[in-house]
Amino acid sequence: MGALLTLRGVRHHRDGRAILVIDELAIESGERLGVLGPNGAGKTTLLRLLAGVETPTAGQISLAGTDGLLDRRRRLAYTAQRPTLMTMSVQRNVELPLRFRGVPRAARRSAARAALARVGAEHVADRTARALSHGEAQRVSLARALVCEPDALLLDEPAAALDVTARTDFLADLDAALAADPRTVVHVSHRPTDLLGRSDRMLVLYEGRVVQIAAPRELLLCPATVTVARLVGYDNVIEAERTARGAIHLDDHPVGLRSPGPTGRVWLAVWASGTRLVSPDAPATSGVVTDVRLAPGHWEVLVDIGQPIVARCELGTSPPAPGTRVGVSLEPSQTAVIGSPPRET
Amino acid sequence: MLIATVLGDVGRSLRVSISASLIAMVVGVSAGTVLGLARFRGRRLIATFVYTGMAIPTVVIGLVVALVLWRSGPLGSLGWIYTLKGMVIAQVLIATPLITGITMAAIQALPPELPDQLLALGASRRQFVFRLWVEARVPLLAAVMAGFGHAVSEVGAATIVGGNIHDQTRVLTTGIVEDVGRGDFGPALAYGAVLLGLAFLVNALLTSVQQRGAAWARS
Repeated sequence: MGALLTLRGVRHHRDGRAILVIDELAIESGERLGVLGPNGAGKTTLLRLLAGVETPTAGQISLAGTDGLLDRRRRLAYTAQRPTLMTMSVQRNVELPLRFRGVPRAARRSAARAALARVGAEHVADRTARALSHGEAQRVSLARALVCEPDALLLDEPAAALDVTARTDFLADLDAALAADPRTVVHVSHRPTDLLGRSDRMLVLYEGRVVQIAAPRELLLCPATVTVARLVGYDNVIEAERTARGAIHLDDHPVGLRSPGPTGRVWLAVWASGTRLVSPDAPATSGVVTDVRLAPGHWEVLVDIGQPIVARCELGTSPPAPGTRVGVSLEPSQTAVIGSPPRET
Repeated sequence: MLIATVLGDVGRSLRVSISASLIAMVVGVSAGTVLGLARFRGRRLIATFVYTGMAIPTVVIGLVVALVLWRSGPLGSLGWIYTLKGMVIAQVLIATPLITGITMAAIQALPPELPDQLLALGASRRQFVFRLWVEARVPLLAAVMAGFGHAVSEVGAATIVGGNIHDQTRVLTTGIVEDVGRGDFGPALAYGAVLLGLAFLVNALLTSVQQRGAAWARS
């Protein structure tokens, strides 16, 4: 499979400020690419540039086998974060891209019905778009994107504005709609959970620049920077020391990890589930419990070890009270070592 | 004889106002769409001129058009002073800023994501503009109604440019002014009623189209 979408030397400026810089990026045909980043990282701009809604200040974006912007727009489908539906019936909304492409009415009608059925929204076909809930509108927007069988689907945080239940339902319907679909999907989100199980490869954007591109598992196991570690959801990012032999020490105690590299300061990304509370006399770093919070399925215990760290206790146990001195031990298999500083420059 | 005169005045009123409204609609809706969508230097200044144009007294427009069409004026060779053509030009200048301003506001009031979404759906330039107009159809028809209302009811420019010549350029509004000037309030009131009736009929037609469009959108 070759590259379907290629970006070369792309620079995009707004009000004189660079908001997206991508030297080279190839999105393969059939690939599921997840784009992760905080608000303002340039995720939506990337999708808009790919979709041909905006043109980059400099650089090239090409879609294999296309000639011209209108041709590219007609071979891609872009769904914005807010489902922008026209003031007409749902059926007519879904037919609209086909109408733009000159598809005859009968073919439009059947294709729109099929697309709505594919996302579980056939029951709203005859309703007016204004009467839809946000979740229904997002499904209709997805059906409208799928109806013209695009080469690539560009999804801009489609579940961002939905509540927890509606989000889960929508993402399940999205998975079902794309389950046996060989098309390329570029899915943007600031939530790693939206992307991790749905991507072949993930690209992390921060302040308009690509920080890391990797398979989801690699991204979780080896975040390249502190920012990536925080974005993929690590509960703790703490400072530690690397010795001359590559051993990682936290507060002069070895944490059972080795990582070759220059001696000195490193950062450890640790899931809360990999942080165990032990006796303060154990050979581990120790600190004082500062807060205990009830969370879904567990207690979150905040400990000050000279820097804040979050540990988890099972819901059935009694967590240590604030002010209690505790030892903190890290589970090496749940810890990643990062050599880069907290903020990328 | 009287009926023939009234019918003649009604016909001229409708001809001038409808022609002017149609021309102003084409120019105003197009210009308003560009001003509502485009981002360029000087757009705000142009928008300010448009809004100012909405409030210019019609006699001032009539005066300017008369000076331009006057025999010794820049377009005097056309011979349009004291003709229906000259009156149409004046009414176009009266109605266009109104239609342009309302169209601009209507386009700007559309959801900001709509233009980009239409482009992303693969709309060509023509399909894009047409869809925007369909989405803004209710205020756009209101703009056309306002333009027609302004044109059919104005009297200052019609008098100055048309000259209120019997059986040639006399229209309902100038006829009312003439009758009142002579103290003939009866015919003036009758002309007023006819004018109101015409305005009602045309606006009823446009409102029906507008509301049908709105209902179709809801269905």
